[in-house]
Parts: sequence; C-alpha cells; structure tokens
Amino acid sequence: MSTPQRRAARPRPAHKHRGHSKADCLKILRGLSAYLDDDLAGNVCREIRKHLGACPNCEVFLASLRQTITLCRHVEPPPLSPAAKIRLRGQILKAAGR
Amino acid sequence: MATRAQGHAGKTRRQDGADAASLDGHLNAAFDQLYRDHVDRIFRFAQRLCGQAEDAKDLVQDTFLNAYRGLDRFRGDAQLSTWLYTIASRACLRMRRKRKGEPERELSLDEFIPTSEGEFRLQIPAGGLTPQEALENKQLRRALDQAIQRLPKKYRLVLVLRDMEGLSAKEVGSVMGLNERAVKSRLHRARLFVRKELSAKGLDGGHS
Ligand SMILES: [Zn+2]
Repeated sequence: MSTPQRRAARPRPAHKHRGHSKADCLKILRGLSAYLDDDLAGNVCREIRKHLGACPNCEVFLASLRQTITLCRHVEPPPLSPAAKIRLRGQILKAAGR
Repeated sequence: MATRAQGHAGKTRRQDGADAASLDGHLNAAFDQLYRDHVDRIFRFAQRLCGQAEDAKDLVQDTFLNAYRGLDRFRGDAQLSTWLYTIASRACLRMRRKRKGEPERELSLDEFIPTSEGEFRLQIPAGGLTPQEALENKQLRRALDQAIQRLPKKYRLVLVLRDMEGLSAKEVGSVMGLNERAVKSRLHRARLFVRKELSAKGLDGGHS
C-alpha cells in the first residue's frame, strides 16, 4: 500500500513548518526586497534570517528573487551603431528646427 | 532660486539678433555635448523600457528633442543624467502602446504570494550558471525581456531605473516624482512579478 513518492502533495502538512505559520511566511515575503537591498534594521534582518533558516520555502523563494534581480542587472542591450547615432542626431535637430 | 532661469527667459525674447545668435550657438554646443555624452546611456535605457530597437529610437529622439527645448531652462542643481532620465521617463509614459497587451494596472502583493508548496518552490532555470551564461540562453533571455515588457509602465520604469540602470531608490524617486517608500513598494512588486513570470517559464520549458 505504498503511495507513489513523486507527487505526494498530500495532507501530510506538506512542509516542515517548524513552529511558524503561513502568516509568518507572508510577512517575510513582503520584506524580501528590502532585505536584499540591505534596507532593514538589524533586528528585523535577524528575524528574517532566523525564519529563512527554518523555512526552506521562503529560502528558495528568496534565492529565486535574488536571481531575478541579478539577471536584470546583467541584461545588456546592443549598443546604437555609430551610423544610427548620427542619423538620429540629424532627425532630432531637424525636428527642433535647427 | 529662479534668477538664472528668469534671466535666460528674458533674453530668449530675442529682440536683439546678435544676442540670439550667440545664445543659439551656445545652446547648440551644449546640446551637441549632451548628445555625445548621454546618447548611449539613454538608448540603453530606452531599449530596456521598450524592449525593441525601433521604439527605443523613437524614445531617444523624443527625449533629446525635449532636452534640446529645455536646455536653457536646465537647472544645474540636478545631474544631467538624472534630468535626462526624467525626460525619458515622462516621454515613455506618454508613448502610446503600439502593441496591445500592457494592462495599466496596479500590481497587488497578494497575487505574488505563493499559495502552494509548488509555487513557493518555483525556480528560475539558471542554476549554477553565471548571470552572463544564463542570459546567453535565448529562452531565458526572451522570458526575461517579455516579463519586463509585461510590467505596467509605472512598475517597469522603477525596476529598470533601479535594477538595470543602477540608480538608488532616492534617485528613482526624484526621476519619477515619488517618495522613496513608494519607489520601494513598486520595486518589490515589480521584482515579484518578474520572478513569477520567469519561474513559471521554467515549468514548461525543459526541466527534467
Ligand atoms: Zn516561510
């Protein structure tokens, strides 16, 4: 009578919510950007760190948020070609009536 | 301290031909330098906002045209780059969407709060790679571009200015005319939105 291990999203309180509630997670999630931007007071930071240590869910969430920001920081669009730069300048000055 | 600006405005009446000519010369030289020094940055910014080169060029044109017209009123107490970001951001907000699909809506925090274990655990398919390597993956890069484009403009502007252009929250506030608190609130929502879009992509796209 063994249930398949894979998709066992069964009542078994799916995660080890060790001593914290969903509301705790919610509160943490609201503060994660500020946490990543080092924008929080020391005691709040400690509180978040403590929660993260005990809550794999929030920890994984934090990792993916951090990764999102890192990716954003590294997007480099292609530069304007010298020819396009000159062309654009001409269009601007023409529109300005010069 | 509007004395300098008023002095200029008085002169631009241009009753005097010689004066006007010298003012024009001065303006043109100032504009040329402005364009030379900042066009690359503004084009990059515009591409990040518009998602594609043609729209970005329109935005650059709009921005520098407005800058040209406002140059004699520029107050030296702001950085030129901040001033240009401000002009470009306003121009972006004015630009009509050519393509549909940009809902100008508020993002509520609740829509990003995971409701299931699975949602919590969504990962961005870039594990173990440097950001540069990850972005070489065309699918991921496209997903990121699309996620940013799907952001309502006022959120997109904040995310692009802060996380892509690297401005401080305070600088973003001065560009957008927002207080820091509002900037941070929008930023958090924008990041959560992009995170969700990106990680959802990981679900259907090749993970095993
Ligand atoms: Zn949690």
